[in-house]
Amino acid sequence: MRRFLAVRLVQSLATLLLLSLAVFILARATGDPLSLILPMAATEEDYANARRYLGLDRPLPEQYVSFLVRAARGDFGTSLRARRPVNELLRERFPNSLKLAGFAMALSLLVAFPLGVAAAARKGTLVDTAAKTVAALGQALPTFFVGIVLIEVVAGRLQWLPAGGTGGLAHYVLPGVTLGWFVLAGLMRLLRSSVLEVLDADYVRTARAKGATERAVVWRHALRNALIPVVTFAGVSFAILVTTAVVVETVFAWPGMGRLAYEAISGRDFPVIQAVVLVTGAVVAAVNLAVDLLYVWIDPRIRYG
Amino acid sequence: MRRSTLTSLLVLCLVTAAPAWAQPSPGELTVVLSSLSTEALDPILAGHIVKFYLSLMFDYLVGATPDGQLSRDGGVATRWEASADGKRWTFHLRRGVRFHTGDELTAEDVKFSILRALGPRSTTGYAQGLRQLVKEIETPAPDRVVIVTKDTTAMIPTLLSRLLSTEGMILPKQYVEAKGDDGFARAPVGSGPYRFVEQVSGSHVRLEAVPSHWRLGTPKYKTVVFKAVPEETTRIAMLRRGEADVVEISRERMKEVAGAGYPVHLRREDGQIEGWFVQPWAQTPIRDKRVREALNLAIDRKELAETVFGGQASPAAVPFGLSWSFPEIKFKITPEMVYAHDPGRAKRLLADAGYANGFPIDIFAFQLPGFPEGRAMAEAIAGYWQHVGLKPRLIPVDYPAFRKQWFDRTAPGALGYYNIANRDWIGTYALIDKYAAPSAKSASIRDPELDSLMDAVIHQADREKTYALMRSIFNRLRSEHLGLPLVYYHTPYATSKRVPRWNPGAIMYELNVDELLAGK
Repeated sequence: MRRFLAVRLVQSLATLLLLSLAVFILARATGDPLSLILPMAATEEDYANARRYLGLDRPLPEQYVSFLVRAARGDFGTSLRARRPVNELLRERFPNSLKLAGFAMALSLLVAFPLGVAAAARKGTLVDTAAKTVAALGQALPTFFVGIVLIEVVAGRLQWLPAGGTGGLAHYVLPGVTLGWFVLAGLMRLLRSSVLEVLDADYVRTARAKGATERAVVWRHALRNALIPVVTFAGVSFAILVTTAVVVETVFAWPGMGRLAYEAISGRDFPVIQAVVLVTGAVVAAVNLAVDLLYVWIDPRIRYG
Repeated sequence: MRRSTLTSLLVLCLVTAAPAWAQPSPGELTVVLSSLSTEALDPILAGHIVKFYLSLMFDYLVGATPDGQLSRDGGVATRWEASADGKRWTFHLRRGVRFHTGDELTAEDVKFSILRALGPRSTTGYAQGLRQLVKEIETPAPDRVVIVTKDTTAMIPTLLSRLLSTEGMILPKQYVEAKGDDGFARAPVGSGPYRFVEQVSGSHVRLEAVPSHWRLGTPKYKTVVFKAVPEETTRIAMLRRGEADVVEISRERMKEVAGAGYPVHLRREDGQIEGWFVQPWAQTPIRDKRVREALNLAIDRKELAETVFGGQASPAAVPFGLSWSFPEIKFKITPEMVYAHDPGRAKRLLADAGYANGFPIDIFAFQLPGFPEGRAMAEAIAGYWQHVGLKPRLIPVDYPAFRKQWFDRTAPGALGYYNIANRDWIGTYALIDKYAAPSAKSASIRDPELDSLMDAVIHQADREKTYALMRSIFNRLRSEHLGLPLVYYHTPYATSKRVPRWNPGAIMYELNVDELLAGK
């Protein structure tokens, strides 16, 4: 297991290194941030001064090495747009994204499990049809549409819940439902098909033959063996929710990582773009590692190393 | 157990969601805008785009009235005068003005603030112009500042006033030096009626009233929150739910919001939609005055105003002719100046210029903050030009991508546009300079006669002669068709029912929130 962890760690670091190079080059290929920062009347001299002040006058390899060394120490430089340390921005935004993604994930897991399992156990019944409809809508309706409808109806007309921004638990409901519904749809469909597949397996028939109740067959024997693809999907979805919920964060005025990325890209804010991409990469790598470790817990037959 | 946990969660949600709790506290004013721009808190890093909240935290050297005139009541300077040669401007400071640290504001703070605004770290809009003008700053007494200029000029008070950018905001010298630039940018201190409390990037800026202030007395609201909410549906829902007092709305949804019973307030002629041609256009058909006139005559401005801008705009006539500058310099748009929609004459002019079969012309299509109609307008212009025989090509981009091509001059003769905020005549002069000065990256006009008029203005101390020169500049821009003036647009804001009356004012990038807060 230790060897496995060491190998995965090295792989993750290599991926992050490649990612850092890619984002460093691509961000600079999109345009000069100074043309957005400096006033229109700025002269060549002003541009030269600003380049020197912001360290953009140094050769690219030197800028890259400097960025890597500082990033390794957890220092992502200063935002060109907000002129604040990028770390400060990440500290403000990352927890917001984590909390919203956590809420959305919890919501979708809470609904997807009973619904997915019930749909599989009662295939072809009204419950199955209802579950499939919820899943189809969740995957078919764009999140911006769901979000705007919820805001218009629940916040605007019924005035039950806040329309946007961060705050108490009530502020999580509408963005959480919007984000969670999409994940819930995928989770539920996957869970339904995995459980259906397992329900036909020999050991399930054996369990039934031994007189186990249907509830025990489904929840104890079938579900655990159907979990591997579901956990993988949930892990990847969580990483995506944390880092790239741009649309939902924009619609609900939620100050998270997705909006930070969008603002940074619009403003050609290199340091922030680099930091957001690296943090995203690190989150994905960490979640993947966590999912791999969960496999061992779910299925004791799995061994690493 | 599980059921009880779920029930508790549900109850918690409903309790925290109760509409009564969502009302802003009576002592709080919430202003919800689509963006807080760069969200910078240091005036020299921000410029005019965030002065709507900075002007509550800081006092200006020279104040302004809501209708856009310099004011002796609204700034730190109670009076000012120029020497006979127009090279020494003396400002007399208000006594007893204190920063939020408790320190008294003195001439040293004024000198420090202006020099800092002109320094290399500054990216404000008028710093460059001030650098060219200011020679030195003297502080003969704690309540007197003398700004010595390199040349005769009448512009100093306006350049350091609330009418323009943030160069005139006064900062506490001791505090900034103690905290350093970065420390100050995170925890700014000014002498304005509200002090900085909190900033959450991407979310809001919260300010708190000082007990009593010479500008606003004891403000009506203890706190003011400026929130960034990009989606309009969300902003309107916040208004309905009582989570906001002032919200930015689009021209498109103005009637709907007014119909729901919310007061809608217009900032009339908030800006001008101006088109221009990317330099260098000496080798393109744009160099021909007849072509430029034809391009203007092909456009139906009334139709644009009625359709694309939902009736919340009016035709513009003079390139870069920002209307808030007209009254002071006594410039009037005559009926002959207004471009008629005359496709027939446009075709004839094109034929006279040798382009009877038209020519290809690129139009960059992008949206801008406060100008969501950008792409639709570009498509409409392409339609008008196609109708007179031109071959327009729409290039959908985001604004930064267009700006790069504009500044790098890699798309000669292509059309770009901007929603230029309206402003007084000195601001307008500075703006024209940005489009006309040969050394500026943004230069889009090349006209030697205009250059000489522009040069004459800056060296003229006599007010009437300066006004006459400004009128000549506008006449020259119009007669040579040195741009594509399209419309003056009005910007709507909706307010909650507890804010029935409000004049959003006529100061560039300001919202006159002072009027909502003033307690005296």
